[in-house]
Amino acid sequence: MTQESTEIARGLRRRDPDLLDRLIEQYQHRLFRYLLHLTGRRELAEDLFQETWIRVLERGHQFNDKYAFSTWLFTVARNLTIDHMRRKQPASLDGLLNDGETPFDVPATGRASAFDMTLQREQTEQIAAGMQHLPAEYREALTLRFQEGMSLVEIASVARVPLGTVKSRIYRGLSALEPWLKGAPL
Amino acid sequence: MNTDAHERARRLIALGGAEEGSGADEVASNAWLAEHLEACAGCRGFADNAAETIRGLRAVPMVAGLGLVSMTQMRVRRRALELQRQRERLWLVAVSCTTVTLCALVSTVALWRGFEWLGARAQLASAVWQVGFLVFCVLPAVVAGMLLLAKDTHLADHAGSYQG
Repeated sequence: MTQESTEIARGLRRRDPDLLDRLIEQYQHRLFRYLLHLTGRRELAEDLFQETWIRVLERGHQFNDKYAFSTWLFTVARNLTIDHMRRKQPASLDGLLNDGETPFDVPATGRASAFDMTLQREQTEQIAAGMQHLPAEYREALTLRFQEGMSLVEIASVARVPLGTVKSRIYRGLSALEPWLKGAPL
Repeated sequence: MNTDAHERARRLIALGGAEEGSGADEVASNAWLAEHLEACAGCRGFADNAAETIRGLRAVPMVAGLGLVSMTQMRVRRRALELQRQRERLWLVAVSCTTVTLCALVSTVALWRGFEWLGARAQLASAVWQVGFLVFCVLPAVVAGMLLLAKDTHLADHAGSYQG
């Protein structure tokens, strides 16, 4: 795909620890955010974050440089999350946080002084809370689309679903978040 | 306007104005959406809300802690070292196996010649020294196999010498 992907693929085949250090730093927030949205629990997301990078080290030779590294990384993380859920109870992503578990908190940004900032923060909190009430598939699609900026095709590749399903999930997820924006369900 | 039109408009809004089709489709879809939004207050409201929601989604501050990153890097390095050692061990095993196989081939030929010479010196029938050669070669493996089979059995319990 790109020169960067080729270099990453070569480094992963060599299990180059310096390359992995760099990748961990580069993708830390994106991967963590994805896992946090997927699992809804900080501790679990942290465990899966570490496991994902160990898996990247072990299975690095499987990365195909025709695709973006981030797509492969999220696929690895997703599979690990599903494996975790299967160990817990036989389920797909449906089993994630639909059983009244504590949603994650939105940490303070430390800059909320003006009224607008407060209002925005409230809206962000509402949306973060709303996300935790969505089915995991919708959360995943929304996160990959609007936080990671992935194309629909890339999302379909990560989630291993048809393109039409991705479109439906984004549409339904966004529609389901609408009442939360207005603050009604809290 | 029918329900399908609103549904289509809202889908287009949710997917960012276009459904990632061909360029011509995208332009046509965007033009149609703009026209629809002019006329439909409900879908305009949906568009505003969607924009706000997307902005909110992007603003949700979730960052991996510094401790998590350094811990992960440490674990990955440790695992990389383990895997490297594992690979080195496997390499050693492979080299050892190859060496042993080559040595076994050479020594088998030498032993065969030796037994043949001894048989000739002692004026034994071929079958006799050949059986002797077979027993000599197979005996160590048979003894080792018996000892391994005896491990963790009542034989070992009584003898007390094969406890792992």
